[in-house]
Order: sequence, then structure tokens, then C-alpha cells
Amino acid sequence: MEHSGKVAPIIECRNVSKTFKNKGNSLEVLQNLSLSVRENEFVVLLGPGQCGKTTLMNIIAGLEPATSGEVFFQGERVAKPNPKLGMVYQTTALFPWLSVMKNVDFGPRMRHMPRKERREKAQHFIDLVGLTGFEKAYPIKLSGGMRQRVGIARAYCNDPAVLLMDEPFGHLDAQTRYSMQDAIERIWSREKRTVVFITNNIEEAIFLADRIVLLTNCPTNVKKEILVDLPRPRDYVSRGFLKIREDISKIFEITK
Amino acid sequence: MNRKKKRSFAGSRTEALVYGILSLVILLAVWHLVSLGGRIGKFFPSPFLVIRDFANAFVHAIGRNTMLEHIFFSLRRVLVGFGLGVVVGIPLGLVMACSKAGRAFFMPLFSIVRPIPGLAWIPLAILWFGLGEQSKYFLICMTALVGITMQTFFGALYADPVLIGAARMLGAGKFQLFVHIILPSAIPNIFAGLQGSFAGAWCAVIAAEMIRSDEGTGWIIFNGMNYANTAQVIVGMVAIGLVGLIASTLLKALERRLCAWNIQGK
Repeated sequence: MEHSGKVAPIIECRNVSKTFKNKGNSLEVLQNLSLSVRENEFVVLLGPGQCGKTTLMNIIAGLEPATSGEVFFQGERVAKPNPKLGMVYQTTALFPWLSVMKNVDFGPRMRHMPRKERREKAQHFIDLVGLTGFEKAYPIKLSGGMRQRVGIARAYCNDPAVLLMDEPFGHLDAQTRYSMQDAIERIWSREKRTVVFITNNIEEAIFLADRIVLLTNCPTNVKKEILVDLPRPRDYVSRGFLKIREDISKIFEITK
Repeated sequence: MNRKKKRSFAGSRTEALVYGILSLVILLAVWHLVSLGGRIGKFFPSPFLVIRDFANAFVHAIGRNTMLEHIFFSLRRVLVGFGLGVVVGIPLGLVMACSKAGRAFFMPLFSIVRPIPGLAWIPLAILWFGLGEQSKYFLICMTALVGITMQTFFGALYADPVLIGAARMLGAGKFQLFVHIILPSAIPNIFAGLQGSFAGAWCAVIAAEMIRSDEGTGWIIFNGMNYANTAQVIVGMVAIGLVGLIASTLLKALERRLCAWNIQGK
């Protein structure tokens, strides 16, 4: 594990465990997981199965408590949702009764930012994700990919220090998924933020990540970390890309 | 997919219209034939007589009022009673959905009242409020209240937790969550409740007017029965049907405007 050591991590999970108990049955989904993320780093959590990843994200976000262990954000313990952490969801968590514009400027509106200012801000991010002209549309009129773009713009518009993305492209078809990966890469290089991105897609992880954290399945824990030191934007069939892909595949076959 | 469905519907529109007119013509023809047959005909006025009487009723009074006045009296009763139901029911539903203490307090009471049909309140309404307008308002209110409260309650209770989480992550406080997430989530259900309850309230007013009144659409029917005037009875029924149809169309239109975002509102 490579650590500069100089910069304090912006997010740090220390020995986080989570067990769900239900009438005598208990399911341990996170076991003693430790993880740190540096500022402006794009970290991808790559793991198989349906176990623990979303729960980990909710714990980092402060939406759910951990059974044991702690999460620190900018040196402070996370205990409740913090608007400095922005969330992009797996399914579209857009507010269906609000137009694209009103979804995107929701966060600033909750903080009572003056209308003109927040509209300009929202417009900036709507343009950035490529949805100019759809400001007045309701989510129901948009395609899956467009909805995820709105979700990304909404998270960005709230000025988060960290973006938490929970399999945001999991429900998209392959073609849309590639174009969304391009979009997120482009947006991220223009508006640098710390990103924690969950996926189960190896290609997606290598394309986006500065660092990939490989997770085990049920209970989820850190299996191995891989630094992706390839120039951006990345080429899916370059030698370096394929090499990392092979490494990860090997590791996962062993865990199977 | 949506557009396709609409187009195919538009294509068969002429067909639907033809069938609709045909069924109406057949109904009138059969009705008219039956009304010609001697003994039955006495209590079975010809449709043309009914249509004539119906049109007449707008000019010449039935009892003390013309048709429009009768409709106005009935509508006023419904709107007052129904309005009371809305004013009490929506906040009650919201309180039960949003506050655990509120639910614990009101739910048992509500569970007792809920299965009692609105019309079962007639005797108490009369004993408590007499035979005047107040008892009618009370009866209509009790009829409408249950549906409105229940629908509001479920709509607010089952607001999507992911959306609530998303709003919290974006910095919404408790009150903001209520105004911006829970309330809009409940609106489609509230409208379903309003529509169902309005139909119920319109039933209740007829019942209330049959018991004791000097005017209203329910009175037209009851008065017609007392004088064996079947044409008048049917005229009253037609008026009730038409007003109910217009009211539910207006509510639908309002819903379509307020819930344009919702697929159910299409």
C-alpha cells in the first residue's frame, strides 16, 4: 500500500463492522474494514456480489450507524448525514415531482441560497453533464442514462467535498455505460473532487480509478489495493489496461 | 411505448364513438318500447318524457326550486361536509404518518371508526344535530373523512426511504423533508382519496336529503316517489349522475395538472 504520509486522509474507515440481526438470525456484511481516501483521489471499491457495498456507502454517508468501528470525514466522526458528502445512487433517486432544474438546485435551495445564484449554479452543472435544454423536463421523461446525469449534477451542485457513487451505472445498458464512464471522467477532470465509486465491473474500475480497492464477498473486507498508474483518458485495450485487468481477474478467481 | 398506446387509442376513437351512440340508441329504443306496454308503462315513463321534464325542470320549479337551485343546494351540502372532511382528514393522516406519538394516539380511535359505513351515522347525526343542515354536513363529513385520512396516511407513510435519504444528504432538515419530500410523495394518494371520498359524499347527500329536506337532488327523487311521479324520480337520478360525472371530471383535471410528474396522472 502506497501512502504519501504527508496528507491526512479526507475519509477514513477504522475497523468498521456491520451485522444485521433479524429474529435470531444475524448476517455479518462488513467485517473489520479499514480504508482511507485522500483528497481529490478517485477510489473505486470493486467487489462481487450484493453484500455490504451499499451498506458501507451508507455508513460513510452517515445514513446508517456501524455496529462497531468508526468513520472519519475531515478528521471528524461521521454520525449523521453531512451535505459535504454528496451521494449518487444506484437507482435513480431523483425527486419525480421536480423538474431537472429543481432536482439539481435542491441542495442549494435547502440552504436558502438566493434563487438567481442557485439557478446559475445548477445551470452550470446541467450544461456540464450535457443536459442543456432539458431543464424543465420531469425525470419520468428522461432515459436511464440521462437520469443518472441529473443525479450527478445534483450531487455536484451541492458543493460536496466528496462524491459517493453507489454503482451509478449498474442499471444502464453497455453502450450507455461506456458513454457515462467517459462523462464522469471528463467531469471529474474539470471539477476535481474526491470520489468513492462502487462497482462490480472490472473495466469500469480500471477506466476510472486512481486506486482500486478489491473487496471480498460477505462479509466484505479489503482484499487488496491496486494503484492504476495509467494516463487519462484511458484506453480499454492498451497493454497497461489489459495487464491490470488480468491481475484483478486472477485475484478474483482465487477468491472464488 | 406510451405514444404508441395513445395513437392506437386515437385510431379506434371513431369506432368507440359509433358503439357508444349505438348502445345509447338501443337503450332509449328498448326503454321507449317498454314504456308503451300498458300496466308497466304507468311506472315507466317514456325516455322522451323524462328528457322533456328534465329540460323543463331548469325553467319550471319542482317543488319550490328549479333544477339549478336544487343542484346548488345539494352541492353546497357536499362541499361543506366534504371540505370539513378534507380539513380534518389530511392533517390527521399526515400526523399519523409522520409522528409515532400521533399514530399511537389516533390509530386506535381511527381503527374503531374506520369500518363504520358513513350512513350508519344517520341516527346519531339526527339526534345530535337535528334535521337541519348541520346533521347533513356531519353525515357527509363522516363519510368522506375515512377515505381521505387513510389515503393521506398511506401516501405519507410509504414515502420512498431512498428519496428521504437523498434529501437528507443534500442538507434537508426535518421540516424541509416534510414539505419537500413527504407531502409531494403523498399527493397522488391524497387525490385518489379525494376522488373516492367525493363519490361517497355525493351518495351521503342523497341519503341525507331523502331523510328530511325541502330541496336538493335527493329530495327530487324522494318527492317523486311520494307522488308516484316516476318521471320526476328519473329526472332526479339523471341530475345526480350528471353532477357526479362533472365533479369527478374536474377533480381528474386538477389531478392531471398537479401530478403531471406522476405516471398515474397521465
